[in-house]
Amino acid sequence: MASESKMIMLRSSNNEVFEVEEALAFESQTIKHMIEHDCADTVIPLPKVSSNILAKVIEYCKKHVTSPKDDNNELESFDAEFVNIDKNVLFGLMSAANYLNIKSFLDLTSQALADIIEEKC
Amino acid sequence: MEWDSNSDVSGDDEGFLLNDGGPFPFPIDSLLQPAPCGFVVTDALEPDHPIIYVNSVFEMVTGYLAEEVLGRNCRFLQCRGPYAQRRHPLVDSSVVSEIRRCLEKGIEFQGELLNFRKDGSPLMNKLRMIPIYGDDDTIIHIIGIQFFTEANLDLGPLLRSSMKETASAQDRFRSSLSCNRLLQDGSRNNIHGVCGILHLSDEVLSHNILSRLGPRDIASVGSVSKRLYLVTKNEDLWRMVCQNAWGSETTRVLEAVPGEKRLGWGRLARELTTLEAAAWRKITVGGMVEPSRCNFSACAVGNRVVLFGGEGVNMEPMNDTFVLDLNCNNPEWQHIKVSSPPPGRWGHTLSCVNGSNLVVFGGCGQQGLLNDVFVLDLDAKHPTWREISGLAPPLPRSWHSSCTLDGSKLIVSGGCADSGVLLSDTFLLDLSIEKPIWREIPAAWAPPSRLGHTLSVYGGRKILMFGGLAKSGPLRFRSSDVYTMDLSEDEPCWRSVTGSGMPGAGNPGGLAPPPRLDHVAISLPGGRILVFGGSVAGLHSASQLYILDPTEDKPTWRILNVPGRPPRFAWGHSTCVVGGTRAIVLGGQTGEEWMLGDLHELSLAGSVV
Repeated sequence: MASESKMIMLRSSNNEVFEVEEALAFESQTIKHMIEHDCADTVIPLPKVSSNILAKVIEYCKKHVTSPKDDNNELESFDAEFVNIDKNVLFGLMSAANYLNIKSFLDLTSQALADIIEEKC
Repeated sequence: MEWDSNSDVSGDDEGFLLNDGGPFPFPIDSLLQPAPCGFVVTDALEPDHPIIYVNSVFEMVTGYLAEEVLGRNCRFLQCRGPYAQRRHPLVDSSVVSEIRRCLEKGIEFQGELLNFRKDGSPLMNKLRMIPIYGDDDTIIHIIGIQFFTEANLDLGPLLRSSMKETASAQDRFRSSLSCNRLLQDGSRNNIHGVCGILHLSDEVLSHNILSRLGPRDIASVGSVSKRLYLVTKNEDLWRMVCQNAWGSETTRVLEAVPGEKRLGWGRLARELTTLEAAAWRKITVGGMVEPSRCNFSACAVGNRVVLFGGEGVNMEPMNDTFVLDLNCNNPEWQHIKVSSPPPGRWGHTLSCVNGSNLVVFGGCGQQGLLNDVFVLDLDAKHPTWREISGLAPPLPRSWHSSCTLDGSKLIVSGGCADSGVLLSDTFLLDLSIEKPIWREIPAAWAPPSRLGHTLSVYGGRKILMFGGLAKSGPLRFRSSDVYTMDLSEDEPCWRSVTGSGMPGAGNPGGLAPPPRLDHVAISLPGGRILVFGGSVAGLHSASQLYILDPTEDKPTWRILNVPGRPPRFAWGHSTCVVGGTRAIVLGGQTGEEWMLGDLHELSLAGSVV
């Protein structure tokens, strides 16, 4: 990433503002389209995503953007640990992943929920 | 019931109150109390002590009529309402244990227990249970005397849930509407008591979560609420579920059934999981397969049955090919004119690969045993048999078994080689590449060599070997052994399947099929194997169906009872599976292979009527 990467501001449903690098924000196709089509101002409002959920989404995207591409094992164990959380938080994450259109995150959370339903864990 | 240790109850042999009106074996004074008491008599000689008499007070207080409870054990009163399957959690289990202890010791019980009326309202039951002894000191009856009082408990509304599989879908979702306390307003993120998963939209829920579940789980999810019921009615969802559960190869075969005859995916998933619609029936077809023969090999391509070779009169090996298209309204055997057919043979295998291709391997020909490979494309304009010359072919053999892996790899194993030697090797031929080469699958250990066994593919890339005539020292015996191999492993190896049988048993537990060879083994979607037919040891019926799930923790054989009239015999070489759901047994009612005008069909799923 360039040393002076553009920063994007994201506002959660409870008005907390998160500042993230553009490359990270672009993991979300929704945000990417909003910026590329000039639909967003200085701050992008995300009324359907609460602060704690948004914080976790940013954590996921950060890990996946900054990790070297061929370190699959580390990413896998990070992912597995990441979804090892309370069901209600997991639902929230999946909703956010769908709304923000982050495919890999959506697959990860969906599979985790399917596993819970099938009692695989 | 409270056990009153001072009570004057003794095992008199002077008979029972209801029988001869003689002296009562228990103090009747305690019964003559102002409160009405329920009176129950159970048969202690029958398993689980069924009720044989209840009085009218019991009926009035509990709300259950005598005819509803006769024959059952009294413990249903501990379940809340007639549909509950389990004892209600507020029922004190230490009291229940005490009852059991007293019954085992043959002594009276007195205690107090929470019971429920038929409408679900709670009752406190001051219960006294008295064993009645017969002539020889065995207990023949238990009398229960119940003083019911209202219980001060607030348990909430009784949820009428009909959990039986046979309940119609309508009843199911109507009864579960009462459980649906969803608020329609979705803007709040944390509504207490509402599961977060229901906040997701139908598409997201269906596409991302439900599509990853198995058929049984989808059926369960569908009974939760009206909305989920509707979401799970979607055919596209079921198609994804079927594909995930059964693999793309099986789904492709099922999809190839022509539109009008095809069941919806939802119904297919259910019927192929429960096998509730499985039935035998007889089909009559036209055309002739001449000259008549036995020991031919039959294989299905989509809805068409193909027959090749066989042993004619004077043991002459045949080399002609016939097709029966079961898609037609009036199916007829038709001879396929091919130029340069393979050499005639019997005891060979015919398998379907690459969609519409058939591959012949091995068998016994005019000049002895064969190990050549021929392929025919049934959908070609002019079908022709083409020889595949692969390097390092397996030993020539007959009565080996074969199966198709991944739709394009032919696997053969065992069989009978020259001089009658039995084989135990396993070879793979990948027919998806330009120049296929035989490759032996090395195994540190192989099951005893055999002929006439079956190889079935299940769970993607696993194969299951069953039965056959196996070598045992200098002798040969029919076998009912089960072995599996997982070909997705780096170094596949044969494993003996053990189940809940005797310790050290090498076989799955349950009702195992009697040992046999040249039987039929069908892979059901989802990984189960269905076995029937063959040359069976002893006097056992060859038409009994046995089913095994090798993916279970403790694989157990079960018997499958299916309506309709099965053929008395069925052979592996003359039976094939069309459309993924119909096993077609060629040959007459009593196994006459030259009678090909009548077929017996075991359909695993229902048909579109």
